[in-house]
Amino acid sequence: MNAKDNLFEIIKANASQKELNWIETKATGSLQSLQTAFVATPRFISKTPINTSVTQKGIDFQTWTLDKLVRAYFLTSLNISDKETYTKTLNTLFETAENNEAVALTSSLALLENPETWLLRATDAVRTNIGVVFDAIAFENPYPQEYFSELAWNQLVLKCIFNDKPIHRIQGLDERTNKELATSISNLAHERWAAGRSIPPQAWRLVVKYLDEEIFEDIKRLFGSESQNDQIAAALVCKYSEFGAAKSELEKHPDLEENTKDITWSSLEL
Amino acid sequence: MCQKESEIKQNPSHFEGTAEELEMSKTIQANYMDYVKDMKFFDPHIHMSSRTTDDYTALVDAGVVAIIEPAFWLGQPRTGLASFKDYYSSLVGWERFRSSQFGIKHYCTIGLNSREANNEALAEEVMEILPLFLYKEGVVGVGEIGFDDQTAAEEKYYRQQLEMSKEAGLPVQVHTPHRDKKKGTELSMSIALEHGIDPGMVIIDHNNEETVESVLDQGFWAAFTIYPFTKMGNERMVELVKKYGPERIMINSAADWGISDPLAVPKTAALMKIRGISDEAIKMVCYQNAIDAFAKSGQINVSDFETPQEIDQSLKFNGNTVLRGGQIPRVDKNSIFIS
Repeated sequence: MNAKDNLFEIIKANASQKELNWIETKATGSLQSLQTAFVATPRFISKTPINTSVTQKGIDFQTWTLDKLVRAYFLTSLNISDKETYTKTLNTLFETAENNEAVALTSSLALLENPETWLLRATDAVRTNIGVVFDAIAFENPYPQEYFSELAWNQLVLKCIFNDKPIHRIQGLDERTNKELATSISNLAHERWAAGRSIPPQAWRLVVKYLDEEIFEDIKRLFGSESQNDQIAAALVCKYSEFGAAKSELEKHPDLEENTKDITWSSLEL
Repeated sequence: MCQKESEIKQNPSHFEGTAEELEMSKTIQANYMDYVKDMKFFDPHIHMSSRTTDDYTALVDAGVVAIIEPAFWLGQPRTGLASFKDYYSSLVGWERFRSSQFGIKHYCTIGLNSREANNEALAEEVMEILPLFLYKEGVVGVGEIGFDDQTAAEEKYYRQQLEMSKEAGLPVQVHTPHRDKKKGTELSMSIALEHGIDPGMVIIDHNNEETVESVLDQGFWAAFTIYPFTKMGNERMVELVKKYGPERIMINSAADWGISDPLAVPKTAALMKIRGISDEAIKMVCYQNAIDAFAKSGQINVSDFETPQEIDQSLKFNGNTVLRGGQIPRVDKNSIFIS
């Protein structure tokens, strides 16, 4: 099913009749009417959480509210036959967006026509300091996994770690690990340690495939950390890694080896 | 806003008072917050974009739970439409978020200020983009608009924006001029009435002893800006509340890039308390009336600032989580150590 129809099915299952009436009068209207409807949505549509098992392009709408979903629906209702007007309309919406509008736009990037053309909007959302907008690109969003370059991807992940945000909510986290990112995480840890601070233990899951002599020193240090979660992270890295010395290092900590036998990184997803 | 020597002379500052008042101010000021420690405040006119994070912290500590930031003049003229667009965007974007970091609910009013109405070519373009912002969440009015020099161009765009407020069902926040204030205030009100706008939808701002009576008599809301030197002093304000009562009167700080005081509302509340004004009246003037007036926009949900909020992970910013109830990450200003 195309995005527009699919979204409308979910809306129908979650909206009141009065809300549906309003949506229907707007969705068939002119471009200007859709644009205004996008802005005015919260005046007519509640912010109730969405309950659905339906997904679209890998977006799980369970974390969405109804007003956000309706906004996404209006975006998918825009006429795409005139590309220039379509682009101009969306640019105006991005440039004048209030925070909740920016969240709706950012979360809907993968649903837009030619999603790859909106890359700059996506990386702008990574650059923002507005927490809710950053979260909209980072979490439960298929866009970065599919369209980000390695550089942009690594920025997203690093910024999450830097700001103590939950990286496990990034789609494609394990699929898009890379050597550069592993090195950056090691460097970030060194900076933090020098300042007497630390990085979130689950960040170390990103170095598993790229363990080398240098990063292995970090893991040894984690085994000696006062934080139990750091120790668990070290054990999990060794458990999953194919790096030569990892297994024997883990054997030096039999208690941890035993304790982490039946757990995965999900136990550190805080 | 602008501080002119001539105006300071015309309007003596609030430091002048009776010997008794002077004595009282010396003994009481240090602990003035004790008088209002359980009160909540709503400042319906404060330009936070021009203020620091220290001010946000001070507002939270003083009990200010919600604010309105009117769109205004930035101290120098904007040269293009994009500057206006970015400014309006910041009022519903970055500044709103920054405020939320401190647990303060941030609303705004959107409009073309009177000074920049005089650049007609640019004003025309601004009129075109205003509707894009007026319908946004948390936009509680058209403002601050009105007169500065009282030119024909100012009148033209004041009228156009009044029509927009009618169309959008939004209250109007009217700036009254520094110079020739009485005439400008009367003109602002008569034009609003001429456009068929319910005076209950109009907040006439920056009143003083000379303008208040006519504003109240005609059914408008009367806002007073407690601002050192150029506008109202808070001792004068106390006297006005004693004289006119608390109905349809509200106070604000209009704190901005000039020498102003973001704590004007709580400070004035404390002074009212000390001078024997009832808690009920203080609540009306420093909280409830502003909410009642601007809630006519349909954009104020009092539970957003009256009920403590759950911790929201998305409000984490650079590793800091800002919670309600004074749990803002604190910097000890007296410590030489920064960690």
